[in-house]
Amino acid sequence: MYKLFLKIATRYLLKNKLYSFINIFGLAIGIASFVLIMIYIKNERSYDKFEGSENVYRAYMDYLVGDTFEAGDAMTYNASGPSLKQEFPEVLDYVRFYYFEKVTFVLGDNIFEQPMGSLADASYFNIFKYPLLKGTKETVLKDPNTVVLSETLARKLFGSEDPFQKTVSAFWDGTEVVLTVTGVMPDPPQNIHFKNNFLISFNTENTWGIFNEHQLKPNWNMNNYYTYIKTASNTNAAQLRQKIIDSDIEEDTEERHNIEPIEDIHLYSNKPYEVEANGSITRIKFLSAIAFIILILSWLNYINLSTTKSLERAKETGIRKVSGAQRPELMMQSLVESILLNMVAIVIALVLTLVLLPLYNNYTGKNLSLEWADIESFLPIFGFILFGMVLAGLYPAIVLSSYSPAKALKGKIKTSTGGLNVRKGLIVAQFLATIILLVGTIVVTKQINFLQNQPIGTNLNQIIALHGEVVSKEVDSLVISKYNVLESELENLSFVKNVAIAQTYPGDSFDNLSSSRGVTLPNGDVDNNNVFYSYHVRPDYFNLVGIEFLAGHTFIPTAAKNYNQVVVNEAFLRLHNITSVNEILGKNLKFWGNSDWQVTGIIKDYHHFGSKRAVLPMIIRNQYDVYNLLIKLDDTAISESGFTNSINQIEKKWNEIFPRSSFNYTFLDKKFQAQYNDDKAFGIAFQVFTLLAILIASLGLFGLTSYTVVQRKKEIGVRKVNGASVAGIMKLLNQDFVKWIALAFIIAVPISLYAMNKWLEGFAYKTNISWWVFALAGIVALAIALLTVSWQSFKAAMANPVESLKEE
Amino acid sequence: MLLQLNNIFKWVNSGGQRVFLLKDINLEVEEGEFISIMGPSGSGKSTLLNVIGMLDAFDEGEYNFMDESVHTLKEKHRANLYKQYIGFVFQAYHLIDELTVYENLEMPLLYKNMKSSERKAVVADMLDRFNIVGKKDLFPTQLSGGQQQLVGVARALIGKPKLILADEPTGNLNSQQGEEIMEIFKQLNSEGVTVIQVTHSEKNAGYGSRIINLLDGRKIEG
Repeated sequence: MYKLFLKIATRYLLKNKLYSFINIFGLAIGIASFVLIMIYIKNERSYDKFEGSENVYRAYMDYLVGDTFEAGDAMTYNASGPSLKQEFPEVLDYVRFYYFEKVTFVLGDNIFEQPMGSLADASYFNIFKYPLLKGTKETVLKDPNTVVLSETLARKLFGSEDPFQKTVSAFWDGTEVVLTVTGVMPDPPQNIHFKNNFLISFNTENTWGIFNEHQLKPNWNMNNYYTYIKTASNTNAAQLRQKIIDSDIEEDTEERHNIEPIEDIHLYSNKPYEVEANGSITRIKFLSAIAFIILILSWLNYINLSTTKSLERAKETGIRKVSGAQRPELMMQSLVESILLNMVAIVIALVLTLVLLPLYNNYTGKNLSLEWADIESFLPIFGFILFGMVLAGLYPAIVLSSYSPAKALKGKIKTSTGGLNVRKGLIVAQFLATIILLVGTIVVTKQINFLQNQPIGTNLNQIIALHGEVVSKEVDSLVISKYNVLESELENLSFVKNVAIAQTYPGDSFDNLSSSRGVTLPNGDVDNNNVFYSYHVRPDYFNLVGIEFLAGHTFIPTAAKNYNQVVVNEAFLRLHNITSVNEILGKNLKFWGNSDWQVTGIIKDYHHFGSKRAVLPMIIRNQYDVYNLLIKLDDTAISESGFTNSINQIEKKWNEIFPRSSFNYTFLDKKFQAQYNDDKAFGIAFQVFTLLAILIASLGLFGLTSYTVVQRKKEIGVRKVNGASVAGIMKLLNQDFVKWIALAFIIAVPISLYAMNKWLEGFAYKTNISWWVFALAGIVALAIALLTVSWQSFKAAMANPVESLKEE
Repeated sequence: MLLQLNNIFKWVNSGGQRVFLLKDINLEVEEGEFISIMGPSGSGKSTLLNVIGMLDAFDEGEYNFMDESVHTLKEKHRANLYKQYIGFVFQAYHLIDELTVYENLEMPLLYKNMKSSERKAVVADMLDRFNIVGKKDLFPTQLSGGQQQLVGVARALIGKPKLILADEPTGNLNSQQGEEIMEIFKQLNSEGVTVIQVTHSEKNAGYGSRIINLLDGRKIEG
């Protein structure tokens, strides 16, 4: 019997190619989109899971802002870890990290910069149960001047030789330390938020010489450390958190310690000084919603098409009933057909997924895969697909098997009003989803454009930042004087417009920016509450990056005590309710224990971190300390060859002055734009999946109209014979759809308004959701629907009425 | 007695008024009869045939089929009853387009849960009897109208029914094809199968042993 079912189903699908194509294609797109999004989400949710990770928490700082505490800093003090362990018996162990964006490794003539590594306590491998390829977990990080390298880094340094117990030099901020390799670990997996390519034993800080004595002591002054704690497995996390919040271990009412599960960091945390740009749970929620919408759309499509199509098969059902088939058998057959169709769709979807995954990876920079090994974790997903498949097959089966044979055989089965309402409902639901997705796409695109076109208060074009590491044992003053030579030589190059030294620059990470509290204003007001941010630059910096002055001017290098000169921004003035620049310009500020910081200028607000964040209150100091050498090139460097020529000449100068060094550079504008990459990717995902949803919905509509038109063939013929025009008939056929879309539109507006406002909450600067966003979405949906429908209705309206009437 | 209809009424409500499709029909059919139902369009011929075939319900009256009272049976039992004893032939043949001749014939047997080997034998027998062995792998659309109806009749007979109900079986055929089908019915009847046909044609009615005339849902005597 099932063989027969299968046979009929196969032949039917082959015979009705358009119907099968629309159905299978729609389902395959739906399933493939769903699986792709689920793979992505699964990866995003897999961050920081290791043996015992459920008991690992990151400590962070809350700052008092007004009356409430806000998550203020992902970093803590070097005293935080030991204090937490001492105060709370639930805390079994802690590990502190002092993170380096990059360190320059030197082995003979091999000099290269290695990004991402840390000083880490010896307890690291006790808390992070990651494997170690060489060395003993308990002892690798115990002694000062020892290092654990990632596999790749070990190979880069030592080639095929065994690195164990070999030594290598590391330079940071011009200071050298000689390290002994005590272990090799696998490269950090892609799905952890704290990726370390090397771990240097924490007590190396005592011998390295990058910290002063004051900084080395346990203190509550410098929060430059990431602290992770491990709790006993029976700990009530909420209680512990409350205890830590209440404890005030630091005895500072302006801030407090807090903890968060390590597993939540990637999706839920977006604090200043994160190790890396994290993911976003909002994005995950939106993507899940899109995934389900698309999948459900494709099922609705299927239900709609097969129910409509079943009218055509009423005769067949009648014959079967007359031949003795009973309802369960008829339903079974319908289900067999639905499952066959879905199976084909699933196979195509999987092929699509496998084909698209590398493209997708390429685009998102992720390394996602669909492997047999983790097929098990996808079982719920496939279970869900299967469940929906049966559900989607059930409705047409019920409809089909309910026809009375006498009527079915007479061809008297016309669209029953009930069935028609169901199908209208389905179309409305499809367009509801389509319009919501359209509004979403428009808002996301609008917001991204808004962010990118927001005046950022700087001009970063044609600027490169040189940040090579000078690997020499020269004293700082000598290095600085060499930098002076380099600066003037670079300025003499024809294509260089300007050169300035700066600790950091717009678009750079939080790392080179210090955050502090405690400032005394010129009028004597003391603010110990609000955080201000600070970095240091040389006088030419403002001009070079195009920051404008509201009042005053840049630092005067020739002035006495010029190293005490500072510039503040408008946000700093707003924060302290300073309404007139005269209240502060030329006057003194007190912070960091120094009471004669002189304000020489007030700069207009510029975006240091892109327009996703509000402008931070800033104090910029005048200090000669080499981090980045900013070079503004002229227009000859715009072209590829012009640029290559420029950079070659710059590198030549650099190498002449610093023969033992690494050389690298960054484009400021590109780095600044890169801050929007995640949002752009999200925007593109939204666009692509909306497009697919529209495609599915149109396929459904196309299928549906082609049958309603067939059903109304006689009516159309009669109307034409009685003088109806082509336009009149098209109007007749199209007006229904317009009504349905209008209904969908009315329901879609509040839903999408709510959802998109939720999404925009994540941005400091948001575009407004104007009325035209909805109008555009509505018009696009309507236009697509009318185009789809009109093709069919035009054909019907043009048909010769004699033909259509003859058949009756 | 094969079947008996007592005071059968069937109606539909249209615009608050009761429109009678069948009015007080009384009919007795003996095994081995060949009955023709005649009457103008809309007189209730097909409705009566559908009621006899249990494809359509009626509103009042009693219907006994082989000593079973059809009016008291549940749908499932009714279906089992007609599945076992009745074969249908339609004006529009009503073959399944997706199935070959062979498979169309085999289909009713599947619903009877007949074993595969037995099915093969029965279908082969039927193909042979109607001289359509050479057409067994063709699809209905590849056959002429006469040939399709031949398959339709063969399918009706495949379950070895006691009663054949034919609704204008020659209505879509030319006269020569029609005659062939009627000859087959005559032949079947002589083998003991009861036949009830609906027809417009006096000539076809002539093949039967008894004629029932309907007008506006009523039986006209004489």
